[in-house]
Amino acid sequence: MSYRVAMDIGGTFTDVVCYDEETGGFRAAKAPTTPGDLAGGVFEGLSRVVEDAGEIAFFVHGTTQGLNALLERKGARVLLVTSQGMRDVYHIARGNRDRMFDLRYRKPAPLVPRSDTVEVGGRLDYRGAELRPLDEDAVRGAARRAREGGYDAVAVSLLFSYANPAHELRAGEILAEELGDTLVVLSHQVAREWREYERTSSAVLEAYTGPVVRRYLNRIEGRFAERGLTVPVHVMQSSGGMVNASYARERPLQTLLSGPVGGTMGGVALTRLLGRGNAICVDMGGTSFDVSLVIGGEPDVSAEARVEGFPVLMPIVNLHTIGAGGGSLAYAEAGGLRVGPESAGAVPGPACYGRGGTRATVTDANAVLGRVDPDWFAGGTMTLDVEAARAAVGRLADELGLGAAELAEGVCDVANAKMAQAIRTLTVEHGIEPREFALVAFGGAGPMHAVFIARELGVEEVIVPRFPGAFSAWGMLEAEVRRDVTRPFFRPQEELDGGEMAATLRAMEAEALEALAGQGVPEGRRRAVHAVDMRYEGQDYTLTVPLDGAAEPDDPGFLTAVAARFAAAHERRYGHATPEAPVEFVTLRTTGLGEFPRAAAGGADAVRHEPAPAVRKTVVFDGREHETPVLRRESMAPGTMTAGPAVIVEDTATTVVPPGCTARIDEHGLLVIKVGGQK
Amino acid sequence: MIDPVTTEIIRCALLQAAEDMNTTLIRSSYTPVIYEAKDCAVALLDRDHNVLGQSSGLPIFLGNLEECTRATERMHGRGVWEPGDVWVLNDSYIGGTHLNDVTVYAPIFVGGELVGFAASRAHWLDVGAKDPGGSMDSTTIYQEGLRLGPVRIYRAGEPDPAMIEVISRNVRFPHPTLGDMRAQVACARMGERRFAEIIERWGLDTVHAARDEIFAQTERLEREQIAAIPDGVYTASGMLDNDGIDLATPLPVTVRVEVRGDRMTIDLTDCADQATGPVNCGAAQAVAACRVGYKLLVSGDVPLNGGSFAPLEVVTREGSMLAAVEPAACQYYYSHLGLVIDLVVRALAPAMPGRVAAASYGDSMIVQLTGLDPRTGRLFVSQEATVGGWGAFEGGDGESCLINNVNGSLRDMPVEVLETLFPVRVTEYAVRPGSGGAGRWRGGAGVVREYEFQADSSLSLWFERSVTPAWGLFGGADGAPPRVVLNPGRPDEREVLKANAIPVRPGDVLRCESGGGGGYGDPAGRDPAAIEHDLREGLVTS
Repeated sequence: MSYRVAMDIGGTFTDVVCYDEETGGFRAAKAPTTPGDLAGGVFEGLSRVVEDAGEIAFFVHGTTQGLNALLERKGARVLLVTSQGMRDVYHIARGNRDRMFDLRYRKPAPLVPRSDTVEVGGRLDYRGAELRPLDEDAVRGAARRAREGGYDAVAVSLLFSYANPAHELRAGEILAEELGDTLVVLSHQVAREWREYERTSSAVLEAYTGPVVRRYLNRIEGRFAERGLTVPVHVMQSSGGMVNASYARERPLQTLLSGPVGGTMGGVALTRLLGRGNAICVDMGGTSFDVSLVIGGEPDVSAEARVEGFPVLMPIVNLHTIGAGGGSLAYAEAGGLRVGPESAGAVPGPACYGRGGTRATVTDANAVLGRVDPDWFAGGTMTLDVEAARAAVGRLADELGLGAAELAEGVCDVANAKMAQAIRTLTVEHGIEPREFALVAFGGAGPMHAVFIARELGVEEVIVPRFPGAFSAWGMLEAEVRRDVTRPFFRPQEELDGGEMAATLRAMEAEALEALAGQGVPEGRRRAVHAVDMRYEGQDYTLTVPLDGAAEPDDPGFLTAVAARFAAAHERRYGHATPEAPVEFVTLRTTGLGEFPRAAAGGADAVRHEPAPAVRKTVVFDGREHETPVLRRESMAPGTMTAGPAVIVEDTATTVVPPGCTARIDEHGLLVIKVGGQK
Repeated sequence: MIDPVTTEIIRCALLQAAEDMNTTLIRSSYTPVIYEAKDCAVALLDRDHNVLGQSSGLPIFLGNLEECTRATERMHGRGVWEPGDVWVLNDSYIGGTHLNDVTVYAPIFVGGELVGFAASRAHWLDVGAKDPGGSMDSTTIYQEGLRLGPVRIYRAGEPDPAMIEVISRNVRFPHPTLGDMRAQVACARMGERRFAEIIERWGLDTVHAARDEIFAQTERLEREQIAAIPDGVYTASGMLDNDGIDLATPLPVTVRVEVRGDRMTIDLTDCADQATGPVNCGAAQAVAACRVGYKLLVSGDVPLNGGSFAPLEVVTREGSMLAAVEPAACQYYYSHLGLVIDLVVRALAPAMPGRVAAASYGDSMIVQLTGLDPRTGRLFVSQEATVGGWGAFEGGDGESCLINNVNGSLRDMPVEVLETLFPVRVTEYAVRPGSGGAGRWRGGAGVVREYEFQADSSLSLWFERSVTPAWGLFGGADGAPPRVVLNPGRPDEREVLKANAIPVRPGDVLRCESGGGGGYGDPAGRDPAAIEHDLREGLVTS
């Protein structure tokens, strides 16, 4: 019993990373994803890293099952139950729009038609006091309709259920009595926060994706059992923490963005390993570019996000999709050069994919410049047609009166500059300039662009982890079990009762720790951290301010201390504060964190470093052709240094080191590039 | 001659600089009207007041921040700019809008040389005025609050204590107001920093060469678009219901659009004289409204810069309600601007039927409630805009229950937040069936929002477009006009669209029904499956 295995099930490939607890070595592999029944790909992946699955002591994975159901609109048929008079809250969707000059604006198409919504009588006031009792007959009527109409799930969202869940709980009981196994989602259990549209949307999303996720988890646990495997199945949550399958079945929504957050958690592990606070995590694939941040050793997690235009109230790692990565199209407009945001997508894809694309993309530009290895693209899964890339880039170059290589480098420069600018805006939102971060680059194309982006940002260090193509899976091995508990706690400062706040926090802590125990986290490895969302009176948005434990509000100096902490956080994030202004408390947040024994992130590697024959090729940098060595990463032992220009290739990615930069393999096996030639 | 790669990188850097300014402003503002309603705009300007980059929250602030730096220089000369100074201006006749919209701007110096300006405009929660939240019956600008001409609020990097004192003694909520002002100063500082970085990296001459090329590209793009519109004179007329004082007299507006080759002229001279009530605006704002209409049809996705709108000329008549002069009241400056935007689109409908849409429900449709909250003993001000139906277009139905063109991306107030913050209950929030105009493509539905008051309060209402409801196009029917009823079904029931500070008592009920959007094309041509869908979903009544 000595392997710890993590798996990231993507659209095309399933990435697996395995840590051997005895030798301290890592192994990575790829298996084709099997969309019809993901379990097939899972077992194929396992067989590529361990000989005897019975020796797996720990298993965690990220799955896109719920997200795929949403993206393809193949989720459950949901009946929505609302308070009297509020049937259309979900359809009005707060009435806002996100494009300003568009006469044809449409909101995201709702997942529940208006005709599948049922109102029930009963009303609470803003404190949760009952104004009118729940109309139980109307709830039974809804149950009848759900049964007779063949609905897969029921979502219940009643006004002020966050303040007093009694009506929702009673409705839930009645529905369970009448409907048996049908999934019933109560909005306060998904998101105990105010704002009825956002809470309803979260409940609908859980009802819409839940049955699919539940079926998947049942199937995978069944297959484990068939093979006599007793290891618990863990699933990543959107928060960056993990849970076991039985909790994931109860709260399936939390797994919605389960896969890609692994990369951010990998970034967290690297900052811990290297003793650095801040990292920009850049995940660039063939046609995607996602950025997330690690700040002060913690993932940048929001309490709210939008998925496919729908709001979700749950802790979620902020993943920002920027531009289109290597698929971004280059074109001429009014005599000027433009790159993106339009993308060639996967089909036809860049010209060099040879799938009928004729327009130049960023990947074509890289091919022309010699910065990608045409015979070993995407981990050797495809080869590139460099002549097609040259033809596409050449046509555009003629149109703009430039040489082909000159234009190709220009296309990369524009793409890198735009990606860098978008990253700067993200860090500025946190009140931090990018030069205070390291850049962690992964995905197949991330390491190819990373140094150029770092230069634009003034970032001095780029880190390319081991297995950059499977970094998300690697990051999952480093995650903790996480359970979040929130309670609304709306109080202007003059109404604050510290004893009441402390008592609420203690109850939340007990709930979170009990949940961790239920996840099998042993005593002594469970902890809870607390925070409160605050704002100045009159502000709309809040800042999450950490607390020194559940008992802190009991302290007589608490209000002064927490107001000062809030002012400091406001100053840091927004550049100004109003220390004399009154504050308000809005929401209490408790996070239970449970640690399983982790993989030793810096553990020695099983790979032997064999010298490889020196290969050189011509690569263009700064308008000049450079004879550039092409190195195999596995041939570079820790301590190896190499000055740019160099191209470092490995199975899943290509790293480009331009002149003026130095690359080194550190004692943990990480590829660390000191960036010179800052802009 | 500058190469296209450098030009494009500088173009993107300037746009992103404006984006960073916008992020700084929105993330650090105190009040939802900026943070959520995006009732703000930012611009990075060169030293000749040309826009280098603009990030627009509110469409109707398009391209008139530069009026503020221009006016300052006209009054005081170019020598007035000093490093570290920050200026403020909210005069309606210069900036065009109401006094709540405060523009804060700072000169940018690099190496001791004036290179440009960073400017932002944001809606302040309160600027004084005779009623909290903005009067609906003001008749001169002097009733509308503190009026600031171009004046410094920071000198050499430090706040001017005298100006801070004046502001904090003239507004009802000094903490959030000064908080928003500081957010605007932080935004200007971000603009200064980003522009300095750009100039330090490429040098001023290269930046200027890139600027000239960027402007030329934008102008070329827009001229190509206009050249594709058939030459001709296109007109459309509509009515504003009234000025809020004399409720019986509608105010006409005619928009005359002339297209000749690659140029467009929009003539607004044929409209009512400046009115007694607060429905007037400065000329700068009428120009901005025409630019919104132009942008909706001609250059939607083209980022804004000094080359934008070069082919567009807007003609206004001084003393009209679209180019008001002192002492015209301007608090509700935007009702007729929403109408102007819709009329520009309608005028051009025959020339570009595939690009236009039928009219939308109009503008803000405000419900404002103030008073002492018996739960806290404190003054409260609740101001809500109401969503409504949008016009249909070739190929699609209009969207239902969506915020209007002049309110940017404003979100509605959640019932749970509203009832927690203010002594009021919402008893119904629903789609208004049958309110969208019929057509081959149907207009979007308006909304129903019904309130029950919980305390003695003062209610103000501003609902528009009952005289000219959202019109249909090409045979499509008009949308339903708005309808607002106080105490429906009771003996004291009355219909009212505009009112200033009428008293309401606990248990009184207000039912607001906003207008629907216009339909597009002959209803007889509607797909039967679409009709069946509308019936099943309850969007139409028959």
